[in-house]
Amino acid sequence: MQATISRLTERPNLWPWLLLTPLAVYLAVFFLVPLIDVVVMSFTEPRLTLGNYAHVVTGTLYQRVFINTFATAALVTIVCLLVGYPLAYLMSRASPRTAMLILALVTMSFWTSFLVRTYAWMVLLGDSGPIIGFLKAVGFEHPPHLLFTRFASTLAMVHILAPYMIMNIYSVMRKIDPVLIRSAQSLGARGASLFRHVYLPLTAPGIANGSVLVFVICLGFYVTPVLLGSPREQMIAGLIGTEIEEFLAFGRGSAMAIILLLITLVILTIYHRRFGLDKLWG
Amino acid sequence: MTNDRPGTPGQMTANRRTFLKTGSAALGTAFVMPHIARAADKVLYINTWGGPWEAAARANLFDPFTKETGIEIRTVSPVSFAKLAAQVKTGTYEFDITTLGGGELVRANDVKLIEPWTTEPYKGAVFQNGVASHAFATIIGYRKDKYPNGGPKDWKDFWDVAKFPGPRSLQRYPVRVLPLALLADGVPLDKLYPLDVDRAFKSLDKIKQHVRVWWTAGNQSAQILRDGEVNMIGIWHSQFFTAQDAGAPVGMTWNQGETDVAYWVVAKGSPNAAAARKFIEFAVSAKPLAGFVTQASYGPMNPAANEFIPAAKASRMPTSKENRSQIFDQDIVKLGADPADISRRFEEWLAA
Repeated sequence: MQATISRLTERPNLWPWLLLTPLAVYLAVFFLVPLIDVVVMSFTEPRLTLGNYAHVVTGTLYQRVFINTFATAALVTIVCLLVGYPLAYLMSRASPRTAMLILALVTMSFWTSFLVRTYAWMVLLGDSGPIIGFLKAVGFEHPPHLLFTRFASTLAMVHILAPYMIMNIYSVMRKIDPVLIRSAQSLGARGASLFRHVYLPLTAPGIANGSVLVFVICLGFYVTPVLLGSPREQMIAGLIGTEIEEFLAFGRGSAMAIILLLITLVILTIYHRRFGLDKLWG
Repeated sequence: MTNDRPGTPGQMTANRRTFLKTGSAALGTAFVMPHIARAADKVLYINTWGGPWEAAARANLFDPFTKETGIEIRTVSPVSFAKLAAQVKTGTYEFDITTLGGGELVRANDVKLIEPWTTEPYKGAVFQNGVASHAFATIIGYRKDKYPNGGPKDWKDFWDVAKFPGPRSLQRYPVRVLPLALLADGVPLDKLYPLDVDRAFKSLDKIKQHVRVWWTAGNQSAQILRDGEVNMIGIWHSQFFTAQDAGAPVGMTWNQGETDVAYWVVAKGSPNAAAARKFIEFAVSAKPLAGFVTQASYGPMNPAANEFIPAAKASRMPTSKENRSQIFDQDIVKLGADPADISRRFEEWLAA
């Protein structure tokens, strides 16, 4: 018996890996090969060149749009966190029934078509919409423009992405042992100090997971900011689309995609070093 | 988003051309495209815009063609110019036929993405190996409630923020907008091309602060005019009438409207090229074309189609006799600058 166990532990069991083969083949064919093609195109289109990268790295347009893309993603992440954290806390403290109800409300945005959602925001935030109407009714003579501002685009993106943040934080909060909080209280921790020294550190993994997910997904957005935001809001994904779909500039578009991918990988690597990527899905 | 951007005037570099010739074999292997199982000759695949466009094409072009020839038509959407290029590279055909705007057509023909035409389905139909089908115009639409004494009558008025104050909107599509900026700056129509790009951007500077929205989708343009988010807008004629039919207090002028033409093309090397040509000849013949443009709110390029279009409908088309004299056509070939460079400069100008 002893011998059997030790032999089993000595030889690595390959069966679970074999089960992964279909997935690995699928990923290789439908993800890896096209990705390699993109890399190849970024160096060979229209001829063997480093020019695509040179253009993207030195062009003020691309620099500006890359910066705007990352600034937008950061802003959306922060707002998602500020909105999501209290809501997740509320859910973790509520009865399971209420928690489910909140969860359903939060994820409802997933069930609506993207275009319907965007046009709904246009109607809600427009100058003849209900919000401006309300502001006028309560005495604002010149209510601010809401639509076609960074406020509108941020609001719409937070609406789409907040569920990722909330579910990540909620799953961590739910697992926090109440005993820890009680013992902290018995040791004299109150209010802000209890939150800062006990609760916040305990929920940090959820915050980190949610933030990375929201940030990375937001990097790929472009229709929402262009439709609802100010004219200055252009995201890198939109530029990539224009280069390829309108100008057949496969090389330059590919170079932009690869740079975006590399920056994203750097962010994920930093995250992995700090928190471990395997925890990303809770 | 790209859905709503037909027509990109364009030129091509020699490098790109040589690449496509030589590189198709080399790169083709690296591309993985879904292979569509298909019957040999009784099915044609057409790339469409989907939605109401496809419904109009289905009712007036596809089904009547099938009835006449027995050739079934299946559709692939949305229209993708990049996919046309990828198909020729890889030799895997998802569609045999697509429509292109003028700019894309010039580019596609330059790099040999489309089959040549040796015959003319109607007089003057063929341009750069594309068959002219239908046209739409970018016209001035405005809110009558904001300008009760009459709206802007030309692009000079559109630019005149003293006479016509208030927020405006134009398409986020510089190759279409730059000629308008030049007209506003006083360049006569016959001197428009090649475009003086610097002068156009200087002209755009003057109204930059007043352009609240650079619209990117056709529906969006109709919506903001309807809701009164802007007082005036450079808008496609079909979208203008959508807003008007919805009851919005809006007016328009055909004067200095700018037309774009859509062309049918056959994908280079398509295994169904013969049937594809047959379809295109059918699609631009008078009666089917008249039905299609009437339902889809375009204007027919084949003049023979006009006799099948009732007067009330014709008055809403940029190609009708009365309207034709007021509008002007984009000149893709004489553009005088690379549209890709114009687009990059425009985006940079917007972001600054």
